[in-house]
Amino acid sequence: MKWLALIAVIATGSLLIYAVSDFPDWGSASSPANGGVEGAGRSVSQTFIEETDTLTHVPNIVTAVLADYRGYDTMFETVVILAAGMAIFAILRVLRDTEKPVDQSKHDPSIDGDHQRIIIGTTCRLLIPVIQLFALYVVAHGHHSPGGGFQGGVILGASFILLGLATDLETAIARFSEKQFIGLACVGIFIYAGFGVLGQFYGRGFLDYGALQPIFMTDGEPMARSHAMLGVEVGVAFTVTAIMFAIYANLASKGELKNGL
Amino acid sequence: MIEHFNIIILVLMIITAIISLQVKDLLSASMIFGIYSFLICLLWAEMGAVDVAFTEAAVGAGVSAVFLIATVYNTKRRSSD
Amino acid sequence: MIQETIITIISTLLILCGLIFFLGAAVGLLRFPDFYTRMHAAGKGDTLSSFLVVLGFAVYQLHDFKFTEAGFKENWWVLLLILKLIGICAFIMITSPTSTHALMNAGWEDDIEPELKHKDANELEKDYPRK
Repeated sequence: MKWLALIAVIATGSLLIYAVSDFPDWGSASSPANGGVEGAGRSVSQTFIEETDTLTHVPNIVTAVLADYRGYDTMFETVVILAAGMAIFAILRVLRDTEKPVDQSKHDPSIDGDHQRIIIGTTCRLLIPVIQLFALYVVAHGHHSPGGGFQGGVILGASFILLGLATDLETAIARFSEKQFIGLACVGIFIYAGFGVLGQFYGRGFLDYGALQPIFMTDGEPMARSHAMLGVEVGVAFTVTAIMFAIYANLASKGELKNGL
Repeated sequence: MIEHFNIIILVLMIITAIISLQVKDLLSASMIFGIYSFLICLLWAEMGAVDVAFTEAAVGAGVSAVFLIATVYNTKRRSSD
Repeated sequence: MIQETIITIISTLLILCGLIFFLGAAVGLLRFPDFYTRMHAAGKGDTLSSFLVVLGFAVYQLHDFKFTEAGFKENWWVLLLILKLIGICAFIMITSPTSTHALMNAGWEDDIEPELKHKDANELEKDYPRK
């Protein structure tokens, strides 16, 4: 069986390597992606590069493509993340009490409380605010520089995971409880879809941010698109933050949400 | 010069990919998988896809390594094949 | 001209020092006998060498900077870049020793025995009893 799998892998790999020889050179001007096909008109990437700034006023073209041109795609990507988190929750979470309940009054939820690790506690207290501030910067500045809702959300979730790793899971749960992270994950999706539905109230299509100009009171539709993209990124960040921490909390404690790693 | 850099990273990626499949200790495998993610992040940053590299650094090298280690900790550490 | 030469020499020296410490860390990681001494080599060497290399990069950025008032107005972003690199230096100096400490502590509580000349010379057991 192992040899059969190896033969299949080698066959597929050699087919793929054979196909690579038909590719255009890396960065070649005559590749279809760079608009080099004769008689095909302007290519997609050229359109994005030339028109993104006038249509959306967003300097980071990647964010504009992800949040506006492919708004559906990103929305359902976020839904996929939510579904992954919910699947892990459904498989792992133990809702009945397996052991005798831990005396919560004895547990000290301060960062270096009953852990006797003053070095790690102090470093965490020093670093976690900086990490969270950086994550918020990545979210809020995502349409001007590399970054965006997904990256910022992962960093924000990672700061809570760091707290859970450095102390124990209860300390992290005391700051970001189960109700909060499940609620936040759903609120993120609602924010994203809400921006889409708001456009429909003005008689335009779903996720057509240009229709939101009366709400944001901007000079023109491009600036409204820019603001709506920021709102959408915030929604993505909410979902990703919550799901990252939920997955960690369930995996680390076999779904009991206590006595983690 | 930058082409040599590409080739070095690609060769290292192939080596780490094979090692992470071959090694029996699942904890080592997840650590080496983190190194693989970090190398592909370097490659993307060098090609100019900074957004993708940022995502890979945060998700691949950061969070997914933690997820894998948490899973290995709660299951068993030795691979059977 | 003379300014660029000085900047190149300083940054090259810093990066070379960093690489030497990296070499020391790698040799120590391979040659030392047990967990604690290996972590000792890796932790100390890694921290200082990363610090020196990033500092070398920060000094190298001064190439684009002219030390005049007009140059300052034109190239203020170089100082911002250097500030970010120094921020990375501070981050390394805080996190790397802490992670080494956390690993050592985890190893100690996981009953990893240090390699000793005399079997009963482990005084640490009295001062830091394992949980």
